[in-house]
Amino acid sequence: MASAPKRQIVTFGGGGFSMEAGNPLLDDFVLSLPGRDRPRVCFVPTASGDADHYIVRFYRAFGSDRCEPSHLSLFRRHRTPFDPCEHLLSRDLIYVGGGSVASMLAVWRAHKVDRALREAWRRGVVLCGLSAGSLCWFRDGVSTFHGDPQRVDGLGLLPWSNTVHHSSEPDRRDALHSWILEGMPTAYAADDGAALHFVGTDVAQVVASRPAARAYRIERRHGRVVTTQLGTRFLGDAEVVPLRRPGLVAEG
Amino acid sequence: MREDRRLILALGGHEFSRRRGDEALRDYMLALAPATRPKICLLPTASGDPAEQIAAFRRSLGGFECELSHVSLFRLEHERVRVAEHLLTRDLIYVGGGSLVNLLAIWRAHRLDRVLRRAWESGVVLCGQSAGAMCWFEAGVSRSAGSASDVAGLGLVPGVLSVHYHRDDDRQRALHAAVANGAATGYGVDDGAGLLIRGRTPAVAVSGRDGAGVWRVEPDGNGSVVETRLAEAPVPDPRPAIDEVPAAVRELRRVRRTRERHRGRR
Repeated sequence: MASAPKRQIVTFGGGGFSMEAGNPLLDDFVLSLPGRDRPRVCFVPTASGDADHYIVRFYRAFGSDRCEPSHLSLFRRHRTPFDPCEHLLSRDLIYVGGGSVASMLAVWRAHKVDRALREAWRRGVVLCGLSAGSLCWFRDGVSTFHGDPQRVDGLGLLPWSNTVHHSSEPDRRDALHSWILEGMPTAYAADDGAALHFVGTDVAQVVASRPAARAYRIERRHGRVVTTQLGTRFLGDAEVVPLRRPGLVAEG
Repeated sequence: MREDRRLILALGGHEFSRRRGDEALRDYMLALAPATRPKICLLPTASGDPAEQIAAFRRSLGGFECELSHVSLFRLEHERVRVAEHLLTRDLIYVGGGSLVNLLAIWRAHRLDRVLRRAWESGVVLCGQSAGAMCWFEAGVSRSAGSASDVAGLGLVPGVLSVHYHRDDDRQRALHAAVANGAATGYGVDDGAGLLIRGRTPAVAVSGRDGAGVWRVEPDGNGSVVETRLAEAPVPDPRPAIDEVPAAVRELRRVRRTRERHRGRR
């Protein structure tokens, strides 16, 4: 019997071509995961309103010399020659950009793209993204897009909570802590430049495009919020990794 | 009796450009705003808030005595605004075209559907083109999913609206099918034309271009439809449009066409 496809999701706290011009480490990492030459990569820029400049930057970062790039426009479907859902299911890697997570999820649901993404994941298509493109895969997310931090219901492929840009946005962190105490699921948080690699629904590894970027597990234990820093592999030159021993770094 | 102050201007196809009819419809719209220095807000949600649409809006209205703003739901992270409060204090809201399905999904996610209904009830003039015109009706004939099909709107106005009416045969066919199959009245509005709705009743058809019009489409009782052209009030461009063909050139073309026809007969 053939084994079930490996379900993989990589969530960036921030980074990749959207935020780290000139640092391709996270993008190179996700491109390596499908394990084939010139993987078929689809960029999904819905959260930005399919912004032209963002799509152009994607094609610059994901040149056709190393992959087969495409993008999915849900604002101009009448000019799109393919069915969005079929297209997603035929890719090796789906890369979701940043922006408004609430608008993105609403548009996805209106076009039934949410179901196609779930099915793609089941079939072994690697899913990844940053910011809104990270929050969307979790059951719960913390978004600050509209000012004050808000909880958003994601697609729930990963049964955890998520927050992004973790160390650079203290408001988001504080809100997360109070929601964790109220019963929000255990959260995985990532700094800009750090990415959580989930296999199935568990974290298999944390990788980083910047030596100091980290990811954390944040959970409730005995009525308190406990933050655990996760061991992180820097994707650049190995000898400069200033890895602290994984373990408890904060309680709050 | 007091006149109903709820106004909607549904444009079949309009840009903030200098092409024929575009400035005429803009001026007609401006005259609807009940203030000496109207506060006018652009909502470009349906096409994902492109900068070009915002720039064209500001360029076209920049010379008028009015206060311009736009709300970009995709840029709220950097352009902070209290959306509901802002919209409810405008005199006129202009909704741009794009994907009707996305427009409504995003508005509902941000609860703007209720805000816009409240704005309409309080006398804020609602205006828009293409998806931004169809959204106010019970349904619109949209290409949001590729092929033309009817999509439920906010339902402030009864009936089904189809835009770009004589430019897009598929939309016309889809409107006829929707009307023939249902009980609703349909409206087909061309590029360069508009329908003003007072309360929930179509009141005035306007046309900014020769030939651009508004059609009412009703079931004929035999599974087909009857189309009636509404009498349009022509609205003039305030200055020659950039694609306006001068009268002398039109005359020359007419003479040439006549000659060619004669030559063909010989």
